[in-house]
Amino acid sequence: MPRPEHKEITLTIDGRDVPAIDGQILVDAARGGDIEIPVFCYEPKIGGPVGACRMCLVEIEGISKLQTACSTPVKDGMVVHTQTDRVKGAQQSVVEFLLVNHPLDCPVCDKGGECPLQDISYGYGGGKSRFIEPKRHFVKPLGLSPLIAIDRERCILCYRCVRFSQEVSEDHQLVLLERGASTFVATFDGHPYVAPFSGNIIELCPVGALTSRAYRFRARPWDIEGSGSVCNLCPAQCNVTFTVRDDRVLRVLSRDHDGVDDGWLCDKGRFAYQATHSDERITAPLVRDGDQLRPATWERAIQVASGIARHSGAAAAIVGGETTNEEGLLLGRYLRDTLASHDIDSRQGGALSAGVLRELARTDLQATVPDLEFAHTVLLLDADPVDDAPILDLRIRKGARRNGAQVLVASGRPTALDARAAVAVRHAPGSAASLVLALDAALSGDQGSASSHATDAGSDLEAINALAEALKAGGEDVVIVWGERVTDGAGGEAAAKALVNISATLGLGTREGSGLLELPRGTNGRGLREVGAIPTAGPGLSNPVAVGRSTDEIAAAAAAGDVTALWFLHADPTRDGRNTETWTRAMASAGLVIAHASTLSPELAAHATVVFPAEAGAERDGTITHPDGRIQRLRKAIGSPVDVRPAAAIIARIAEVGSGVDLGPTAGPAGTAAVSAAVSFYAGLNVDEIGGRGLRWQDRDAATNLPAGDVNGESAAPVPAASPNGALRLGTYRSIWASPEVELSPALKFLSRRPTVELSPIDAERIGVTQGQNVDVGTGADVLRATAHLRSDVPAGSIFVESGLAAPGNLPSEGQLIEVNKA
Amino acid sequence: MSAILFDRIDEPGLNDIDTYERRGGYEALRKALAQPREGLLEELKASGLRGRGGAGFPLGMKASFIPGADIDKYLVCNADESEPGTFKDRELMQKNPHMLIEGMIIAAFTVDANRSFIYIRGEYVLQAEVLEQAIAQAKAAGFLGDNILGSGFSLDLVLHRGAGAYICGEETGLLDSLEGKRGNPRLKPPFPANQGLFQGPTLINNVETLATIPAIIRMGGSEYAKLGIENSAGTKLVSVSGNVQRPGNYEIELGMSSRDIIFDLAGGPDEGREVKFWFPGGSSSSVLTAADLDTTYDFDAMEKAGSMLGSGAIIVVDDSNSVVDVALTLASFYKHESCGKCTPCREGTTWTVKMLQRVQSGEATPMDLDIIASVQEQIIGNCLCVLGDAMAIPVGSLVAKFRPEFEAHIESARERNGLGITPPAASEEPVLSL
Repeated sequence: MPRPEHKEITLTIDGRDVPAIDGQILVDAARGGDIEIPVFCYEPKIGGPVGACRMCLVEIEGISKLQTACSTPVKDGMVVHTQTDRVKGAQQSVVEFLLVNHPLDCPVCDKGGECPLQDISYGYGGGKSRFIEPKRHFVKPLGLSPLIAIDRERCILCYRCVRFSQEVSEDHQLVLLERGASTFVATFDGHPYVAPFSGNIIELCPVGALTSRAYRFRARPWDIEGSGSVCNLCPAQCNVTFTVRDDRVLRVLSRDHDGVDDGWLCDKGRFAYQATHSDERITAPLVRDGDQLRPATWERAIQVASGIARHSGAAAAIVGGETTNEEGLLLGRYLRDTLASHDIDSRQGGALSAGVLRELARTDLQATVPDLEFAHTVLLLDADPVDDAPILDLRIRKGARRNGAQVLVASGRPTALDARAAVAVRHAPGSAASLVLALDAALSGDQGSASSHATDAGSDLEAINALAEALKAGGEDVVIVWGERVTDGAGGEAAAKALVNISATLGLGTREGSGLLELPRGTNGRGLREVGAIPTAGPGLSNPVAVGRSTDEIAAAAAAGDVTALWFLHADPTRDGRNTETWTRAMASAGLVIAHASTLSPELAAHATVVFPAEAGAERDGTITHPDGRIQRLRKAIGSPVDVRPAAAIIARIAEVGSGVDLGPTAGPAGTAAVSAAVSFYAGLNVDEIGGRGLRWQDRDAATNLPAGDVNGESAAPVPAASPNGALRLGTYRSIWASPEVELSPALKFLSRRPTVELSPIDAERIGVTQGQNVDVGTGADVLRATAHLRSDVPAGSIFVESGLAAPGNLPSEGQLIEVNKA
Repeated sequence: MSAILFDRIDEPGLNDIDTYERRGGYEALRKALAQPREGLLEELKASGLRGRGGAGFPLGMKASFIPGADIDKYLVCNADESEPGTFKDRELMQKNPHMLIEGMIIAAFTVDANRSFIYIRGEYVLQAEVLEQAIAQAKAAGFLGDNILGSGFSLDLVLHRGAGAYICGEETGLLDSLEGKRGNPRLKPPFPANQGLFQGPTLINNVETLATIPAIIRMGGSEYAKLGIENSAGTKLVSVSGNVQRPGNYEIELGMSSRDIIFDLAGGPDEGREVKFWFPGGSSSSVLTAADLDTTYDFDAMEKAGSMLGSGAIIVVDDSNSVVDVALTLASFYKHESCGKCTPCREGTTWTVKMLQRVQSGEATPMDLDIIASVQEQIIGNCLCVLGDAMAIPVGSLVAKFRPEFEAHIESARERNGLGITPPAASEEPVLSL
């Protein structure tokens, strides 16, 4: 559904002319005219008005009864009064009623000082209560979940939390039980409210009924400061405010940004700040001493690391998703310009040519986050937003629920949005490339080619034709959300070209509100490519002097002795579950292994030569680039522990000590200026322009500097999906909870993942396992023991093993056959 | 006057389709199906029939709000008769179910709705059984289902039993409940005629209203309009209860004297007793006193007297009853039935009950009567639906009209209970736990 058109009108509120948009809700229109109408239940982010709290009663000329401003659309010439005695009387009445059963325990309530009920009682109440009867009592506080405490006596039954659960996150867990004054918020079966987005209800609650168990009693509003930044835990890059007290992060709140997060946060983003202050975090440089890593002085650590200068031509870097644009640019420069190596990669699944990357980055093909809400059709290609970029899951649901957007899914693993999907097509794990080729052929009417690609994808032609039909029939505005894994492996380049072709067939480039949106694996996946932290392109996606090795090739080369120094910038490839065995050998045989990390995996502990402590998210400065091209600023909210230094400064210092080169500015506005000088289409961008809300480079004039793409190069065909034949096709997935931050945060500890394998009930029966039993994946020395999780929508013949765990096991790559036995 | 709804209502076997048809039943349906829809709508408008559920909204006008667009439309019969003192629909459904079904088919045909529901109060077990059987008979006879009587019009009728909530008699609460949700009233607008059941245009009416339709079609709208008086056309079922000698349902022509209904039809209070006050239109109407007995029983006269015709349930209270007991019983009922969605009703009903309890036990002061009166004022007009008003209006009227008796009661109860001027005792209210 295209964005609605706006008609400007004028209404009169309290004798003042207020400009507004026809049909706008009166509360919002009044706010635009600087007139406050108090509300509790009204929250347009959740959905339509419910008119429950009655706080917003106003007088409208021509209507005898007082009206709720939260449910009244404005019309031209409407005359509204918010300050008459009648309105004030109603407001005082509602406040008095709300406080009848409210305990008024503000002095011991976490919300005190930042409480809408408190504010409105002061602002609009009568200042006294005539209520002398006993109040309603509940047992309190209770854990609504391990993250949220509920105090039902404080609840004013505004319905916000229940509506969030029912209409935004659609987990349908929260309900109201009983009725009248005995009504209370609960889960239907009394089970804890555990869901990926549950923490949002804490922020929605206008009283102290729902409080964060991690934040309870840690601070009062006058003890704290808010510090705006961006969450760097996943590519969704939600805007956040860190609540800081005494240089510690105590809480994370949403910093509502319509272009990014729509005002929501996932529970990882909200609670994983605790990892910042974990005792297990590395806070001093470590240097290898025999078979141990021992704390060392900075001088010593830099000395050891600067030994990389001796590995000229044989050094390689893996750049993790958390790396900022500034850090990525700096390391790429040092490697390419000084160490004569082109082996730097920030992607995991193999390299795409610079020409194809530029084609995919075309400004006209780029969809934005709000486009998800207004598109006619959203197609997910081997991506599950709830795990890959959680907040986008809510945006897609919003589009489907409010605007009737058609959701289509083509993926290996069943997605959380399948239930919303008009068509859901499965392909074999790791065969997304073939599926994209098949869809391209089907859209172009080449049934023969579509059929053979469909077979290669382990899917069937009929399903792909249905998908193509739905895409064509659903309306012009199409957003294709594709996971980075679509371009993994041999057929990656071909899949990328097919994506470009599909976009052309559907005319995505010709319409505002249509386009492609990639979900990269790393937080700053897009920015790292654009600053040249990939083997196939220099800064600005320019053609490189020479093409270097990709991640998997670096592992193989290092294991074979061709690469002798490894630099892991915020990366630990042994934790990704890909080629763990090769990586272990590579690290063992490399002469120098430099890592920047907060925690040590067993492999890093065994093989790293020097480990620099990494800054936590709230300690970082720099820029990152959102998947839709929005460049955002990370801003330092707290000081780092004394021995933790910015990675960019470390890189520069190593270059200086080891090679005697000056890499230029590393941090602050000058560091960002260096990025915009290096990336042609960021040209002229500075931190002031980025500001607190960021901006999309596609919206700036410099966007035209993006060099033309090239899709005419040769590309290999994808490997056909293996035929199961008794064994099972291996797929992997990384859950939102599979991250070191979750393991290190006490509040989230209960969500940290153990090895799990998802399989279909058919295969489970054949193997003889039931839900929750252990299975052995693989054979021989590399067997991984995991808990079986039966999912009826996993297609028979495929299994999905959770990756990103602390002990990932050694699995072959996606799509290969693997034996699964009952443990 | 000849009875229309209660015409030979006690004839044995009337709930059977054969008896009903022998008496001319389903003839109006045949007549209606042969007419254009606009014509039927005109007949309904001409009849002047106002909704019998309580609000008194003209049926024809409501039906004309249903858009003509080619989308799924619904007809819903509100049979959740839960207003205290009201039991007319119960007798009608139990004794003459086919009249309701026939009326529903005609109404559905008029607004071109193909799906219809009867939402019946959960306690009406016998009536639900009778209706189920009648629906089955109507289906077997071809009055329901596909292509009714060869007209090309199809209608599905489903009986749904409620689970015991007063609020589900409020039309939007009923619709939510029918959709399988918690029975809470919705914001209006949108009104059900635009967005009702499952978001579709919905005509929702009371049992008595729909059951009158066959008579209107049979007689012709303008002929029906001659019954009753201006602005209050037709006959009305009145449920008379309380302190009368012959409580029961009576069909009257609107405009009759209230005194005649209470004394001539229902026999008035027992020998030696006098009418102290009476609710003219169910327990949520403002009370009238003996001085108002000569008011005619119709929509306008009742409004002029400061009350309402409501559901047509007259509850008579004689001088043997304490006004405090009545007020407390009433408030307790609405407190129990408040859905809890909107603030003034949820908190106001609870608060009122707690204050009235203190009045009853003598723990109150006359100042509390001021607070009670003021709380009722704060509820009226500020709620999401009319449930809050339904308590506040009668309780407010009782306090206003019988204040001396309230004060006297406080005095005597205090003496009786041996209370000085002491603060209220701590409550024994149980702690709700999960």
